[in-house]
Amino acid sequence: MKTNTERKKSQFVSVASIATELSDVMVVAKEISLAAANAKAIAYRAGEKARGFQPITDFINELARETIGLVNQINEQASELYETTVSEHRHEEANRQFKAVLELGSDAAYVDSLFPIAGRIEDELGEKRHQLKSQVDRLLDQLSEIMHPARAARVIAANSRIEASQAGEFLQSLLTVAESVDKAAELMYTNVQRCRSSMAMMEL
Amino acid sequence: MKRTTLFDSGYQWIVFGRDPNKAENLIDTNQYMIRTANRCLLLDPGGTELFAPMLAAALHYAPVEEITDLFASHQDPDIISSLGLWDQALPEAKLHAPAIWEGFLRHFGCNRIEYVPIEDAGGTIDLGSMELELIPAHYLHSSGNFNVYDPRSKILMSGDIGAAIESHDAPMFVEDFSEHVEKMRYFHQRWMPSNRAKNDWIKRVRKLDVEMLAPQHGRIFKGDDVERFLDWFEALSVGGAVQV
Ligand SMILES: [Fe+2]
Ligand SMILES: [Fe+2]
Repeated sequence: MKTNTERKKSQFVSVASIATELSDVMVVAKEISLAAANAKAIAYRAGEKARGFQPITDFINELARETIGLVNQINEQASELYETTVSEHRHEEANRQFKAVLELGSDAAYVDSLFPIAGRIEDELGEKRHQLKSQVDRLLDQLSEIMHPARAARVIAANSRIEASQAGEFLQSLLTVAESVDKAAELMYTNVQRCRSSMAMMEL
Repeated sequence: MKRTTLFDSGYQWIVFGRDPNKAENLIDTNQYMIRTANRCLLLDPGGTELFAPMLAAALHYAPVEEITDLFASHQDPDIISSLGLWDQALPEAKLHAPAIWEGFLRHFGCNRIEYVPIEDAGGTIDLGSMELELIPAHYLHSSGNFNVYDPRSKILMSGDIGAAIESHDAPMFVEDFSEHVEKMRYFHQRWMPSNRAKNDWIKRVRKLDVEMLAPQHGRIFKGDDVERFLDWFEALSVGGAVQV
Protein backbone atom coordinates (compact mmCIF):
# COMPACT_ATOMS: atom_id res chain seq x y z
CA MET A 1 0.00 0.00 0.00
CA LYS A 2 1.12 3.49 -0.76
CA THR A 3 1.97 5.75 2.15
CA ASN A 4 -0.23 8.74 2.79
CA THR A 5 2.39 11.19 1.53
CA GLU A 6 2.92 9.21 -1.66
CA ARG A 7 -0.80 9.09 -2.28
CA LYS A 8 -1.10 12.84 -1.66
CA LYS A 9 1.80 13.57 -3.95
CA SER A 10 0.28 11.53 -6.75
CA GLN A 11 -3.05 13.31 -6.24
CA PHE A 12 -1.46 16.70 -6.68
CA VAL A 13 0.40 15.48 -9.76
CA SER A 14 -2.80 13.96 -11.21
CA VAL A 15 -4.77 17.15 -10.88
CA ALA A 16 -1.94 19.27 -12.21
CA SER A 17 -1.42 16.92 -15.18
CA ILE A 18 -5.08 17.26 -16.16
CA ALA A 19 -4.44 20.92 -16.88
CA THR A 20 -1.54 20.01 -19.17
CA GLU A 21 -3.43 17.29 -21.03
CA LEU A 22 -6.41 19.60 -21.43
CA SER A 23 -4.41 22.45 -22.85
CA ASP A 24 -3.18 19.96 -25.49
CA VAL A 25 -6.78 18.94 -26.18
CA MET A 26 -7.62 22.60 -26.61
CA VAL A 27 -4.88 23.03 -29.21
CA VAL A 28 -6.16 19.98 -31.05
CA ALA A 29 -9.75 21.22 -30.98
CA LYS A 30 -8.61 24.49 -32.48
CA GLU A 31 -6.72 22.58 -35.18
CA ILE A 32 -9.88 20.68 -36.01
CA SER A 33 -11.79 23.91 -36.26
CA LEU A 34 -9.15 25.27 -38.62
CA ALA A 35 -9.28 22.09 -40.70
CA ALA A 36 -13.04 22.53 -40.95
CA ALA A 37 -12.62 26.08 -42.26
CA ASN A 38 -10.09 24.82 -44.82
CA ALA A 39 -12.39 22.05 -45.91
CA LYS A 40 -15.21 24.52 -46.34
CA ALA A 41 -13.12 26.71 -48.61
CA ILE A 42 -12.00 23.76 -50.72
CA ALA A 43 -15.51 22.34 -50.92
CA TYR A 44 -16.76 25.74 -52.03
CA ARG A 45 -14.24 25.83 -54.88
CA ALA A 46 -14.97 22.24 -55.81
CA GLY A 47 -18.64 23.19 -56.13
CA GLU A 48 -20.93 20.43 -57.33
CA LYS A 49 -18.23 17.75 -57.06
CA ALA A 50 -17.94 18.28 -53.29
CA ARG A 51 -21.57 18.81 -52.49
CA GLY A 52 -21.57 15.99 -49.92
CA PHE A 53 -18.63 17.58 -48.22
CA GLN A 54 -20.30 20.86 -47.22
CA PRO A 55 -22.51 19.60 -44.37
CA ILE A 56 -19.60 17.55 -43.11
CA THR A 57 -17.45 20.66 -42.70
CA ASP A 58 -20.23 22.34 -40.73
CA PHE A 59 -20.45 19.29 -38.56
CA ILE A 60 -16.70 19.21 -37.96
CA ASN A 61 -16.82 22.83 -36.96
CA GLU A 62 -19.67 22.17 -34.57
CA LEU A 63 -17.73 19.32 -32.96
CA ALA A 64 -14.67 21.50 -32.50
CA ARG A 65 -16.78 24.18 -30.84
CA GLU A 66 -18.41 21.68 -28.55
CA THR A 67 -15.03 20.29 -27.59
CA ILE A 68 -13.66 23.72 -26.78
CA GLY A 69 -16.68 24.44 -24.59
CA LEU A 70 -16.26 21.15 -22.73
CA VAL A 71 -12.57 21.72 -22.24
CA ASN A 72 -13.31 25.09 -20.69
CA GLN A 73 -15.81 23.52 -18.31
CA ILE A 74 -13.44 20.73 -17.39
CA ASN A 75 -10.65 23.21 -16.79
CA GLU A 76 -12.81 25.12 -14.37
CA GLN A 77 -13.71 21.96 -12.52
CA ALA A 78 -10.12 20.80 -12.48
CA SER A 79 -9.06 24.00 -10.76
CA GLU A 80 -11.87 23.59 -8.23
CA LEU A 81 -10.68 20.06 -7.69
CA TYR A 82 -7.17 21.32 -7.16
CA GLU A 83 -8.40 23.68 -4.45
CA THR A 84 -10.28 20.87 -2.76
CA THR A 85 -7.19 18.65 -2.93
CA VAL A 86 -5.13 21.34 -1.21
CA SER A 87 -7.80 21.94 1.40
CA GLU A 88 -8.25 18.24 2.06
CA HIS A 89 -4.50 17.93 2.47
CA ARG A 90 -4.54 20.78 5.04
CA HIS A 91 -7.38 19.16 6.94
CA GLU A 92 -5.59 15.85 6.99
CA GLU A 93 -2.48 17.50 8.36
CA ALA A 94 -4.49 19.36 11.01
CA ASN A 95 -6.23 16.14 11.99
CA ARG A 96 -2.89 14.39 12.36
CA GLN A 97 -1.55 17.26 14.49
CA PHE A 98 -4.57 17.36 16.80
CA LYS A 99 -4.35 13.60 17.33
CA ALA A 100 -0.72 14.15 18.32
CA VAL A 101 -1.74 16.88 20.80
CA LEU A 102 -4.27 14.55 22.42
CA GLU A 103 -1.61 11.87 22.73
CA LEU A 104 1.19 14.12 23.96
CA GLY A 105 -1.12 15.95 26.33
CA SER A 106 -2.95 12.89 27.62
CA ASP A 107 -1.73 13.70 31.15
CA ALA A 108 -2.51 17.44 30.89
CA ALA A 109 -5.12 18.87 33.25
CA TYR A 110 -7.10 20.54 30.49
CA VAL A 111 -6.77 17.99 27.69
CA ASP A 112 -10.56 17.49 27.66
CA SER A 113 -11.07 21.04 26.44
CA LEU A 114 -9.60 19.98 23.10
CA PHE A 115 -12.08 17.16 22.44
CA PRO A 116 -14.78 19.29 20.74
CA ILE A 117 -12.21 20.98 18.49
CA ALA A 118 -10.49 17.72 17.58
CA GLY A 119 -13.96 16.28 16.84
CA ARG A 120 -14.85 19.23 14.62
CA ILE A 121 -11.61 18.85 12.69
CA GLU A 122 -12.24 15.16 12.15
CA ASP A 123 -15.78 15.93 10.89
CA GLU A 124 -14.48 18.60 8.54
CA LEU A 125 -11.92 16.17 7.18
CA GLY A 126 -14.74 13.71 6.49
CA GLU A 127 -16.67 16.39 4.61
CA LYS A 128 -13.61 17.37 2.59
CA ARG A 129 -12.99 13.76 1.62
CA HIS A 130 -16.57 13.45 0.53
CA GLN A 131 -16.38 16.64 -1.50
CA LEU A 132 -13.17 15.48 -3.14
CA LYS A 133 -14.72 12.18 -4.12
CA SER A 134 -17.77 13.75 -5.72
CA GLN A 135 -15.64 16.26 -7.60
CA VAL A 136 -13.44 13.47 -8.94
CA ASP A 137 -16.54 11.54 -10.04
CA ARG A 138 -17.98 14.58 -11.78
CA LEU A 139 -14.76 15.27 -13.60
CA LEU A 140 -14.52 11.65 -14.73
CA ASP A 141 -18.04 11.96 -16.12
CA GLN A 142 -17.13 15.05 -18.05
CA LEU A 143 -14.01 13.44 -19.37
CA SER A 144 -16.05 10.59 -20.75
CA GLU A 145 -18.44 13.11 -22.28
CA ILE A 146 -15.63 14.77 -24.13
CA MET A 147 -14.77 11.37 -25.66
CA HIS A 148 -17.99 11.59 -27.73
CA PRO A 149 -16.93 14.44 -29.99
CA ALA A 150 -13.53 12.79 -30.35
CA ARG A 151 -15.14 9.54 -31.47
CA ALA A 152 -17.59 11.36 -33.73
CA ALA A 153 -14.75 13.25 -35.36
CA ARG A 154 -13.12 9.98 -36.33
CA VAL A 155 -16.30 8.71 -37.95
CA ILE A 156 -16.63 11.98 -39.82
CA ALA A 157 -13.04 11.70 -40.99
CA ALA A 158 -13.88 8.28 -42.48
CA ASN A 159 -16.96 9.74 -44.22
CA SER A 160 -14.90 12.63 -45.49
CA ARG A 161 -12.58 10.20 -47.24
CA ILE A 162 -15.51 8.69 -49.10
CA GLU A 163 -16.83 12.10 -50.06
CA ALA A 164 -13.34 13.21 -51.11
CA SER A 165 -13.11 10.35 -53.58
CA GLN A 166 -15.95 11.98 -55.57
CA ALA A 167 -14.21 15.33 -55.72
CA GLY A 168 -12.01 14.82 -58.75
CA GLU A 169 -9.00 17.13 -58.82
CA PHE A 170 -9.83 18.24 -55.24
CA LEU A 171 -9.40 14.70 -53.99
CA GLN A 172 -5.94 15.33 -52.60
CA SER A 173 -6.78 18.52 -50.65
CA LEU A 174 -9.93 17.03 -49.16
CA LEU A 175 -8.09 13.87 -48.21
CA THR A 176 -5.55 16.02 -46.39
CA VAL A 177 -8.36 17.69 -44.47
CA ALA A 178 -9.85 14.33 -43.55
CA GLU A 179 -6.42 13.14 -42.51
CA SER A 180 -5.82 16.10 -40.21
CA VAL A 181 -9.24 15.77 -38.58
CA ASP A 182 -8.56 12.11 -37.99
CA LYS A 183 -5.15 12.70 -36.53
CA ALA A 184 -6.41 15.50 -34.30
CA ALA A 185 -9.28 13.38 -33.05
CA GLU A 186 -6.95 10.51 -32.29
CA LEU A 187 -4.62 12.78 -30.35
CA MET A 188 -7.54 14.14 -28.40
CA TYR A 189 -8.71 10.64 -27.65
CA THR A 190 -5.35 9.59 -26.22
CA ASN A 191 -5.01 12.76 -24.19
CA VAL A 192 -8.40 12.43 -22.61
CA GLN A 193 -7.75 8.76 -21.98
CA ARG A 194 -4.54 9.69 -20.15
CA CYS A 195 -6.46 12.23 -18.11
CA ARG A 196 -8.99 9.63 -17.14
CA SER A 197 -6.49 7.06 -16.06
CA SER A 198 -4.56 9.55 -13.93
CA MET A 199 -7.88 10.66 -12.42
CA ALA A 200 -8.89 7.10 -11.75
CA MET A 201 -5.75 6.78 -9.63
CA MET A 202 -7.13 9.53 -7.45
CA GLU A 203 -10.26 7.66 -6.58
CA LEU A 204 -10.19 7.07 -2.88
CA MET B 1 8.74 19.80 26.37
CA LYS B 2 10.30 21.34 29.48
CA ARG B 3 8.04 23.76 31.39
CA THR B 4 9.49 26.37 33.71
CA THR B 5 7.53 28.99 35.67
CA LEU B 6 9.33 32.35 35.56
CA PHE B 7 6.90 34.43 37.59
CA ASP B 8 3.94 33.52 39.76
CA SER B 9 2.11 36.26 41.58
CA GLY B 10 -1.51 36.75 40.63
CA TYR B 11 -0.66 35.53 37.13
CA GLN B 12 2.09 33.40 35.65
CA TRP B 13 4.85 33.56 33.09
CA ILE B 14 5.81 30.11 31.86
CA VAL B 15 8.54 29.18 29.39
CA PHE B 16 8.37 26.04 27.24
CA GLY B 17 11.39 24.70 25.44
CA ARG B 18 14.17 22.15 25.20
CA ASP B 19 11.86 19.72 23.45
CA PRO B 20 13.69 16.38 23.52
CA ASN B 21 11.61 15.03 20.60
CA LYS B 22 12.46 17.91 18.28
CA ALA B 23 14.24 16.98 15.04
CA GLU B 24 18.02 17.51 15.14
CA ASN B 25 18.04 19.94 12.23
CA LEU B 26 15.48 22.38 13.68
CA ILE B 27 16.73 25.29 15.78
CA ASP B 28 15.59 24.97 19.41
CA THR B 29 13.11 27.64 20.48
CA ASN B 30 11.60 29.02 23.68
CA GLN B 31 7.88 29.61 23.75
CA TYR B 32 6.32 31.76 26.44
CA MET B 33 2.89 31.84 28.03
CA ILE B 34 1.25 34.43 30.23
CA ARG B 35 -1.59 32.91 32.24
CA THR B 36 -4.06 35.25 33.93
CA ALA B 37 -7.19 34.16 35.79
CA ASN B 38 -9.21 33.63 32.63
CA ARG B 39 -7.00 34.42 29.64
CA CYS B 40 -3.71 33.31 28.13
CA LEU B 41 -1.24 34.87 25.75
CA LEU B 42 1.25 32.70 23.88
CA LEU B 43 4.39 34.56 22.78
CA ASP B 44 6.22 33.38 19.68
CA PRO B 45 4.33 30.07 19.71
CA GLY B 46 6.77 28.43 17.30
CA GLY B 47 7.03 26.49 14.07
CA THR B 48 4.64 23.93 12.60
CA GLU B 49 6.75 21.07 13.95
CA LEU B 50 6.29 22.42 17.44
CA PHE B 51 2.54 22.90 17.38
CA ALA B 52 1.53 19.58 18.94
CA PRO B 53 4.07 19.53 21.80
CA MET B 54 3.42 23.23 22.43
CA LEU B 55 -0.37 22.97 22.65
CA ALA B 56 -0.08 19.78 24.71
CA ALA B 57 2.21 21.65 27.13
CA ALA B 58 -0.13 24.65 27.28
CA LEU B 59 -3.03 22.36 28.21
CA HIS B 60 -1.30 21.70 31.52
CA TYR B 61 -2.08 25.32 32.43
CA ALA B 62 -5.27 26.30 30.65
CA PRO B 63 -8.21 24.96 28.67
CA VAL B 64 -7.95 25.73 24.99
CA GLU B 65 -10.80 28.29 25.02
CA GLU B 66 -8.85 30.42 27.50
CA ILE B 67 -5.94 30.81 25.10
CA THR B 68 -7.28 34.07 23.73
CA ASP B 69 -4.21 35.81 22.36
CA LEU B 70 -1.09 35.06 20.36
CA PHE B 71 1.88 37.31 19.80
CA ALA B 72 4.44 37.02 17.00
CA SER B 73 7.52 39.22 17.42
CA HIS B 74 8.25 38.91 13.70
CA GLN B 75 7.53 36.81 10.63
CA ASP B 76 10.09 34.01 10.88
CA PRO B 77 8.99 30.38 10.49
CA ASP B 78 10.48 29.39 13.85
CA ILE B 79 8.28 32.08 15.42
CA ILE B 80 4.88 31.46 13.88
CA SER B 81 4.73 28.99 10.99
CA SER B 82 2.31 27.08 13.26
CA LEU B 83 -0.28 29.83 12.69
CA GLY B 84 -2.45 27.75 10.34
CA LEU B 85 -2.86 25.12 13.06
CA TRP B 86 -3.58 27.64 15.82
CA ASP B 87 -6.15 29.04 13.44
CA GLN B 88 -7.93 25.67 13.69
CA ALA B 89 -7.47 25.34 17.43
CA LEU B 90 -8.35 28.90 18.49
CA PRO B 91 -10.93 30.27 16.07
CA GLU B 92 -11.82 33.12 18.47
CA ALA B 93 -8.28 34.23 19.25
CA LYS B 94 -6.36 37.36 18.29
CA LEU B 95 -2.88 37.45 16.80
CA HIS B 96 -0.86 40.53 17.73
CA ALA B 97 1.90 40.91 15.15
CA PRO B 98 3.77 43.63 13.25
CA ALA B 99 1.51 45.49 10.85
CA ILE B 100 4.04 45.27 8.02
CA TRP B 101 4.00 41.47 8.11
CA GLU B 102 0.24 40.97 7.86
CA GLY B 103 0.15 40.10 4.16
CA PHE B 104 3.10 37.75 4.66
CA LEU B 105 1.97 36.00 7.82
CA ARG B 106 -1.39 35.26 6.26
CA HIS B 107 0.45 32.82 3.99
CA PHE B 108 0.72 30.55 7.03
CA GLY B 109 -3.10 30.47 7.20
CA CYS B 110 -5.06 32.99 9.30
CA ASN B 111 -8.74 32.72 8.41
CA ARG B 112 -10.52 32.64 11.76
CA ILE B 113 -7.97 34.25 14.07
CA GLU B 114 -8.18 38.05 14.09
CA TYR B 115 -4.95 39.72 12.99
CA VAL B 116 -4.31 42.73 15.23
CA PRO B 117 -1.60 44.77 13.50
CA ILE B 118 1.06 46.43 15.65
CA GLU B 119 2.12 49.75 14.14
CA ASP B 120 5.81 50.68 13.97
CA ALA B 121 5.70 52.85 17.10
CA GLY B 122 4.56 49.92 19.28
CA GLY B 123 1.51 49.70 21.51
CA THR B 124 -0.01 47.44 24.14
CA ILE B 125 -1.70 44.09 24.54
CA ASP B 126 -4.65 44.26 26.90
CA LEU B 127 -5.36 40.98 28.65
CA GLY B 128 -8.17 42.42 30.77
CA SER B 129 -6.56 42.12 34.18
CA MET B 130 -3.15 43.22 32.91
CA GLU B 131 -1.52 45.18 30.14
CA LEU B 132 1.71 44.49 28.30
CA GLU B 133 3.88 47.00 26.45
CA LEU B 134 5.05 46.38 22.92
CA ILE B 135 8.58 47.73 22.54
CA PRO B 136 9.81 48.43 18.99
CA ALA B 137 12.89 46.36 18.13
CA HIS B 138 12.94 46.84 14.37
CA TYR B 139 15.83 45.37 12.36
CA LEU B 140 16.80 43.17 15.31
CA HIS B 141 16.84 41.11 13.27
CA SER B 142 13.57 41.50 11.38
CA SER B 143 12.62 44.80 9.78
CA GLY B 144 9.29 44.74 11.64
CA ASN B 145 9.95 43.39 15.14
CA PHE B 146 8.68 43.91 18.70
CA ASN B 147 9.54 42.89 22.26
CA VAL B 148 6.94 42.40 24.98
CA TYR B 149 7.53 44.09 28.32
CA ASP B 150 5.59 43.34 31.46
CA PRO B 151 6.18 46.15 33.99
CA ARG B 152 4.90 44.10 36.92
CA SER B 153 7.03 40.99 36.58
CA LYS B 154 9.76 43.09 34.87
CA ILE B 155 10.16 40.43 32.22
CA LEU B 156 11.19 41.56 28.75
CA MET B 157 10.49 38.93 26.10
CA SER B 158 13.16 39.94 23.62
CA GLY B 159 12.51 37.66 20.62
CA ASP B 160 15.74 36.93 18.75
CA ILE B 161 17.72 39.52 20.75
CA GLY B 162 19.89 37.69 23.24
CA ALA B 163 19.43 34.45 21.35
CA ALA B 164 22.04 31.74 21.65
CA ILE B 165 22.44 28.47 19.81
CA GLU B 166 22.41 25.81 22.50
CA SER B 167 22.05 22.09 22.92
CA HIS B 168 18.54 20.87 23.70
CA ASP B 169 19.43 20.03 27.30
CA ALA B 170 21.00 23.39 28.21
CA PRO B 171 19.74 25.04 31.43
CA MET B 172 17.04 27.72 31.12
CA PHE B 173 19.12 30.52 32.70
CA VAL B 174 22.51 32.03 31.96
CA GLU B 175 24.90 30.88 34.67
CA ASP B 176 28.26 32.18 33.51
CA PHE B 177 27.85 35.25 31.33
CA SER B 178 31.38 35.36 29.94
CA GLU B 179 31.12 31.73 28.92
CA HIS B 180 27.70 32.34 27.35
CA VAL B 181 28.93 35.20 25.13
CA GLU B 182 30.52 32.90 22.58
CA LYS B 183 27.18 31.16 21.95
CA MET B 184 25.62 34.51 21.02
CA ARG B 185 28.33 36.38 19.14
CA TYR B 186 27.98 34.94 15.64
CA PHE B 187 24.19 34.99 15.74
CA HIS B 188 24.07 38.68 16.63
CA GLN B 189 26.81 39.73 14.24
CA ARG B 190 25.35 37.80 11.33
CA TRP B 191 21.57 38.11 11.81
CA MET B 192 21.38 41.68 13.13
CA PRO B 193 21.86 44.16 10.28
CA SER B 194 22.09 47.59 11.88
CA ASN B 195 24.21 49.21 14.58
CA ARG B 196 21.90 52.22 14.57
CA ALA B 197 18.86 50.03 15.24
CA LYS B 198 20.79 48.17 17.91
CA ASN B 199 21.72 51.39 19.74
CA ASP B 200 18.16 52.70 19.53
CA TRP B 201 16.88 49.51 21.12
CA ILE B 202 19.52 49.59 23.89
CA LYS B 203 18.48 53.16 24.70
CA ARG B 204 14.82 52.14 24.95
CA VAL B 205 15.52 49.09 27.10
CA ARG B 206 17.81 50.98 29.49
CA LYS B 207 14.78 53.13 30.39
CA LEU B 208 12.85 50.04 31.47
CA ASP B 209 13.24 48.18 34.73
CA VAL B 210 14.16 44.70 33.48
CA GLU B 211 14.61 41.81 35.85
CA MET B 212 14.63 39.10 33.19
CA LEU B 213 15.52 39.30 29.53
CA ALA B 214 13.90 36.31 27.89
CA PRO B 215 14.93 35.46 24.32
CA GLN B 216 13.32 33.06 21.86
CA HIS B 217 16.45 30.86 21.66
CA GLY B 218 18.93 29.86 24.33
CA ARG B 219 18.98 31.03 27.93
CA ILE B 220 17.23 33.71 29.95
CA PHE B 221 19.27 36.56 31.48
CA LYS B 222 18.46 37.35 35.11
CA GLY B 223 19.40 40.25 37.40
CA ASP B 224 22.86 41.67 36.67
CA ASP B 225 23.23 39.56 33.55
CA VAL B 226 20.62 41.78 31.87
CA GLU B 227 22.90 44.82 32.19
CA ARG B 228 25.89 42.69 31.18
CA PHE B 229 24.04 41.68 28.06
CA LEU B 230 23.17 45.30 27.18
CA ASP B 231 26.81 46.37 27.65
CA TRP B 232 28.08 43.47 25.58
CA PHE B 233 25.56 44.09 22.80
CA GLU B 234 26.35 47.81 22.79
CA ALA B 235 30.01 47.13 22.21
CA LEU B 236 29.35 44.54 19.51
CA SER B 237 29.49 45.62 15.89
CA VAL B 238 26.72 43.96 13.87
CA GLY B 239 25.89 43.60 10.16
CA GLY B 240 28.92 41.36 9.85
CA ALA B 241 28.29 39.79 6.45
CA VAL B 242 29.09 43.02 4.61
CA GLN B 243 32.76 43.95 4.65
CA VAL B 244 33.22 47.69 4.10
FE1 LIG C 1 14.04 35.43 13.63
FE1 LIG D 1 14.22 33.01 16.09
